[in-house]
Amino acid sequence: MSGLWEVLVRHFPQFLSGFVVTIQLVAAAFVVAVVLGVVVAGLRVQPLAPLRLAGTIYVEFFRNIPLLVLLFIAFAGLRRAGLDISRFAAGAGSLGLYTAAYVAEAIRSGVFAVGQGQIDAALSLGFTYPRTLRMIVLPQAIRTVIPPLGNLMIAMIKNSAIIGVALALADDLLKEARVINSRTFQTNEVFFWAAVGYLILTVGTTFVVRYLERRLVIRR
Amino acid sequence: MSYLVDPANWEWLFAGNNLRFLLQGFAINLQIAILAMVLSLVAGLGLALLRVSRWAWVKAVTGTWIDVWRNLPLIFIMLYLSLSIPESWRTAYQDLIPAWLPDAFDSPFFPAAVAALTLYNSAVIAEIMRAGIQSLEKGQGEAAAALGLSYWKSMRLVILPQGLRRMVPATVSQLITLNKDTTLVSIIAIQEALRHSRIITNTSGSPFTGVGVDAPLLHVFLVTGLLFVAVNFALSRLSRRLEVRERERSGIAVERVTGIEDQLETA
Repeated sequence: MSGLWEVLVRHFPQFLSGFVVTIQLVAAAFVVAVVLGVVVAGLRVQPLAPLRLAGTIYVEFFRNIPLLVLLFIAFAGLRRAGLDISRFAAGAGSLGLYTAAYVAEAIRSGVFAVGQGQIDAALSLGFTYPRTLRMIVLPQAIRTVIPPLGNLMIAMIKNSAIIGVALALADDLLKEARVINSRTFQTNEVFFWAAVGYLILTVGTTFVVRYLERRLVIRR
Repeated sequence: MSYLVDPANWEWLFAGNNLRFLLQGFAINLQIAILAMVLSLVAGLGLALLRVSRWAWVKAVTGTWIDVWRNLPLIFIMLYLSLSIPESWRTAYQDLIPAWLPDAFDSPFFPAAVAALTLYNSAVIAEIMRAGIQSLEKGQGEAAAALGLSYWKSMRLVILPQGLRRMVPATVSQLITLNKDTTLVSIIAIQEALRHSRIITNTSGSPFTGVGVDAPLLHVFLVTGLLFVAVNFALSRLSRRLEVRERERSGIAVERVTGIEDQLETA
């Protein structure tokens, strides 16, 4: 038991910096995912067929491709192609692009939940289509979308662990744990504390999402 | 863009054994995926039944078990298992495993990979199934009890057939995620599609070990990725078809289980 605490105390700075890097990765990827997700969801509800198709292709491609393959393409692939992409950008960017497909789907179902009647009403009042989306549909859809967005955030925290160990793109929590483990060989102790770190993030997010859900969700 | 579509950069695909080698690697992923899918569905159903048990302590213990495993990154579980399983066990496994089993079984890390995939996905699937079971109106269980059905009989004949039908879409998207996650086993040194892709990019251009045609990393991994996209896309279409057919057959739109993360995603 004493070994358990000793590992934490001795390597606390490393655990902490890994923890922080994981948060940074998820935060950066979340911004990319939400911005891009809104754009793709917008494409998917356009009246113009080619735009809809582009949205569908995006969603089906990024939802069905393994994140690890995406990381290889984004980092090693683009580097070989002569594009000088930074490690952090490749890691967080891939995670963001990947999650954006799910965000788009969540927003789209939120948009459908608003109902065709409201869209028709807005259009008949002389709102343009983009204006209807922006002023009538999105403000309502965003609220419906909060629980799934929170769940995607949790999924992103878990997925971010791939970034560090696969291509050493970031020194996140799992990567640091691996480094500490290779020095101490106290696998059980080191991974115990890394697990605690991840559970703080994922379970913590669960509670925040539940709180927001109670506060914001519209009852229909 | 011209780099991407330049025919010279695609020559590798049909040169030598490259394509076959890639598909061989992909077959390993599929073998691991199928085994892990079966195990996760069985274990997931078991966990879900324990989760809705009549005894409070069984519920609590199962709930904690499920919450811990589904809130940890899969790659974390996989790395931990592969690092903590002693080498003597790994050699014992390799001696034990009969030769007629598919290639995927050959790696000493195979049990760790399948165990990690099952631990994680069974927890997620258990949560989906629990939601499916609990989404049924209370009257269903009460009616079954009023008809004199025992707990297990009402579970088997009334609750599960309806509850499980509701969770089919959510479960299929989780199985798609599982299929994608089989690429993670490359990190614990199992030879599969991603490892084979890297070998192709590293050796294909060499006049000694390869075919002398350069295989750009971007293109090779794009092809590997598209293999997964094709299989997963087919899976999701199949699930939608099943849903539509079910609706036509029964005339009732089956209510879906919603509000769980994994209907949308979890990897």
